[in-house]
Amino acid sequence: MYYVELLLVGLVWGCTYALIALGVTLVYGLLRILHVAHATVFTLGAYVGVLTANHFGSLAAAFVAAALVAGALGPAIYRLVYQPILDRPPYVALIASIGVVVAMEDGFRLVFGPYGESFSRGTALTATYAVGGMIVSLVQVCIVVTALVLLAAFSLFATRTRAGVAWRATVSDPAMAASFGVGVRGVRYLCFLIASALAGIAGVLVGLLNGLIEPGMGSVISYKCLAIIVLGGLGNVAGTLVASLMLGVVESYGTVFLDNVLDRDAIAFLFVIVVLLVRPQGLLGQRR
Amino acid sequence: MDYYLSVATFAALNVILAVGLNLISGFCGQVSLGHAAFYGLGAYAAALCAIAGLPFGLSLLAGGLAAGACGAVVAFAAVRVREDFLAIVTMGVGFLFLGAVRKQSWLGAEMGIANIPSPLDRWGYAALATGAALGLVLLSLHVRRSWMGRAFDAVAQDEDAARSIGIDVAGYKITAFLLGTAAAGLAGGIYAHLTQLIVPDAFNFIESISILAMVAIGGLGSTLGVVAGAVLLTLMPELFRVVNEYKLLAYGGLLLFVMRVSPGGLAGLVRRLTGRELP
Amino acid sequence: MSLTLPRLLLAAAALGAPFALPAAAAPNIRIGLHAPLTGFAAADGKSALQGAELAVAQVNAAGGVNGRKLELVVEDDQARADQAVPLANKFLGSGLKVVISGSYSAPTRAAATVFQKARIPYISAYALHPDITRAGNYVFRTSFTGEVQGKAAAKFIGTILAKKKVTLITLNNDFGQSLAAGFRSVAGQFGLQIVNEYSYAIGDRQFGSIVASVKRDDPAVLYISGYFFTGGPLVTQLRGGGVTAPIVGTEGFDTYEFIAIAKDAAEGVMITTSLDRDSTSPPARRFIDEYESRYRTPANMVAASTHTAVTVAAEALRRAGTDDPAKVRSAIAAMRDFDVSTGRIAFNELGEIRKAAQIQIIRGAAFHHYATIDDPVLLAPPTR
Repeated sequence: MYYVELLLVGLVWGCTYALIALGVTLVYGLLRILHVAHATVFTLGAYVGVLTANHFGSLAAAFVAAALVAGALGPAIYRLVYQPILDRPPYVALIASIGVVVAMEDGFRLVFGPYGESFSRGTALTATYAVGGMIVSLVQVCIVVTALVLLAAFSLFATRTRAGVAWRATVSDPAMAASFGVGVRGVRYLCFLIASALAGIAGVLVGLLNGLIEPGMGSVISYKCLAIIVLGGLGNVAGTLVASLMLGVVESYGTVFLDNVLDRDAIAFLFVIVVLLVRPQGLLGQRR
Repeated sequence: MDYYLSVATFAALNVILAVGLNLISGFCGQVSLGHAAFYGLGAYAAALCAIAGLPFGLSLLAGGLAAGACGAVVAFAAVRVREDFLAIVTMGVGFLFLGAVRKQSWLGAEMGIANIPSPLDRWGYAALATGAALGLVLLSLHVRRSWMGRAFDAVAQDEDAARSIGIDVAGYKITAFLLGTAAAGLAGGIYAHLTQLIVPDAFNFIESISILAMVAIGGLGSTLGVVAGAVLLTLMPELFRVVNEYKLLAYGGLLLFVMRVSPGGLAGLVRRLTGRELP
Repeated sequence: MSLTLPRLLLAAAALGAPFALPAAAAPNIRIGLHAPLTGFAAADGKSALQGAELAVAQVNAAGGVNGRKLELVVEDDQARADQAVPLANKFLGSGLKVVISGSYSAPTRAAATVFQKARIPYISAYALHPDITRAGNYVFRTSFTGEVQGKAAAKFIGTILAKKKVTLITLNNDFGQSLAAGFRSVAGQFGLQIVNEYSYAIGDRQFGSIVASVKRDDPAVLYISGYFFTGGPLVTQLRGGGVTAPIVGTEGFDTYEFIAIAKDAAEGVMITTSLDRDSTSPPARRFIDEYESRYRTPANMVAASTHTAVTVAAEALRRAGTDDPAKVRSAIAAMRDFDVSTGRIAFNELGEIRKAAQIQIIRGAAFHHYATIDDPVLLAPPTR
């Protein structure tokens, strides 16, 4: 039972990572940019969500608001930060992205204060269920369900809709796609919109799971997401999901059993490095 | 006066770190997000030696060697992965180093290593750090113009093409890492004796990012540019005293601004204004 | 000489001059403070700054020190040693005679060496690395070391709560590790059996694996170290996961933010600290009430510690009658019975304080007195 519980904890963590890492993977697949600034839309979504929930007393409103605001900021970041430097070496975008994260984290601290925010009693999802000797919280269920639903939805979008096909075409070969009439610019904006809206929703969910929303909450996760998308095989959505889940489970067991040897982040990265040494292209990546 | 000496010493240490990283990432094109780990390795190795009673010079040497050796090992692994993967692997190395050190009581765990003997005075450290920085800069300038520099350049531009004309790509990558990380280790040794207390947090991922930022702002590949970048970013807390509350906001904004306006950093700016390359 | 008119006028002028000219204002006494105002520790930095500013305001409102007003010179060290060392040199360069650390252990320890060398009294408000006071006789600490707090917790759990099986959840940094070390060193003395120990990193907010493990262990009580931003989520998740054992926390939880995060889960949580919200001692009440009215938020331990440090510095300046650093140092070292917001100050030869530990409990979303651990032998700080 204990080991099953650890497994479930790991899967919940993995789903959290997946929701956030998906956005980073989408951006990488399209632009080959390591979008570290994804942390910013994640955190902003969380703040917008918690303030909306506390003010209006509705969690649904919180999710909507978070998705909208985060979804607006993402394309803005693309337009203001990445678009002008698309033709530069990759480290330029990385440093610029890091600049955004550092600046925005301080910005959040200045605007919202350093102490952080929490969901007030009425809006926090505190319900728990006893399931076969374990206690499962509603928040945990929400995260898993949301992750699976959203990823499935995206998968359908990518394969069954015109926009989705256009997207995949742009990922494979922008020039060719453009010559077929695909609005490459539009695809890019759409990409950031979807990725960031997802991150905003994830921000609210993580805020509920943690019980705390703070200026720096996005930073650690975003750097770990870089590791995840590499682990999964850069640009590979299914790989990102698998890598996220595996990493979550590894961390869950690792934090308990490797406690005396390594800390949580080190365990995560050790796993990543070992996999990359064995399979340099990542779990589901293509060997180049 | 002491204050300026102090700032100058830290600036010199940052120059060593930045120029070393420039060798790896600028000259040889291997993006490393874990450089602070080698800074830490050198600091810990030197600290342990110093506490064990070794003379100052030997402790510093031990720091440089330990870091360089580990750098070479990382490079072996790096040879198997490329580009974006390398950034993640080096980031992972940084986290692994910290994560391991945090848990080992003989390395001081979270408390770090304290009471490191300090044989020099403030002037001494300033002179030592500045001298080492100067030496490294000269070395870096020389490497740039030498055959090794050209080989690094070839590897940075196009690995496959370089390999096809007979350049030992793996060997040069490892050499670049070796030089850069050994320099970081030396700086770490000086740092350990200077502050007499080292804790894991001083060598974390944020620190690696800071060093990379110095290199990027100076201009990846340009030794003098990187020196300017390191000095500028060390002085920033001072220059930004007016905006004390907004320090990190300004720092992030600066990174963003420079990358947007002059992605080649200060060296790129010089190139645009004068048409000449800043070495 | 004859009393001619010119001389009379001169004499009158001389006599009248002090009443005619305004008294020249004596220059302020400047006290240095470094704290993490930006960066990951900004929350504690803000608390420290507010505690210090309140202390200065209170001292000045009572007439200042030796006829002069106190002035705080503040620098931001981002909780980093490489920022603290140049700042320490900067304080020295601007002629500050006393400096307070409102920051974490690494920067404090690094700066302590600088101040010791320069023979300037340096007081650490809440950083608890043992080596800080070992830097020399000019360095003092007005809060408990980690080990001492851990020992107090062990005695509390063993004798007052009378529980035997304990699980430790330790924050992975100098704060958490020293608390756990102190706890472990005397656990046997009080018949405690440490079932298991888990640790987590300062950036962790999700503790599912630890919660599952604790449930499997089923201890009688939990001893948790951390700050409000780790403890709040941890306690919430423990209670949410069905763990009902009593929780004993540490002074890192001693802030209203902890209650705001954990809400109902915070009920009944006990902490070892130095601030007694129910204290009737005048200095404590002055601090608690004025902090809340001035900053519109309840007081916390970091603010109280820094408030104490500044108050001690001001008192030492007053007792020394001068701002000569050597005399101020002696005045600090000689303090035996000075009452401050966090208890009664008495320094030992290493510059550590000897005082009782407070146990507070959270009831009705507020901190209240629960017990006091007064055991000079057990709580004796290191002397070397």
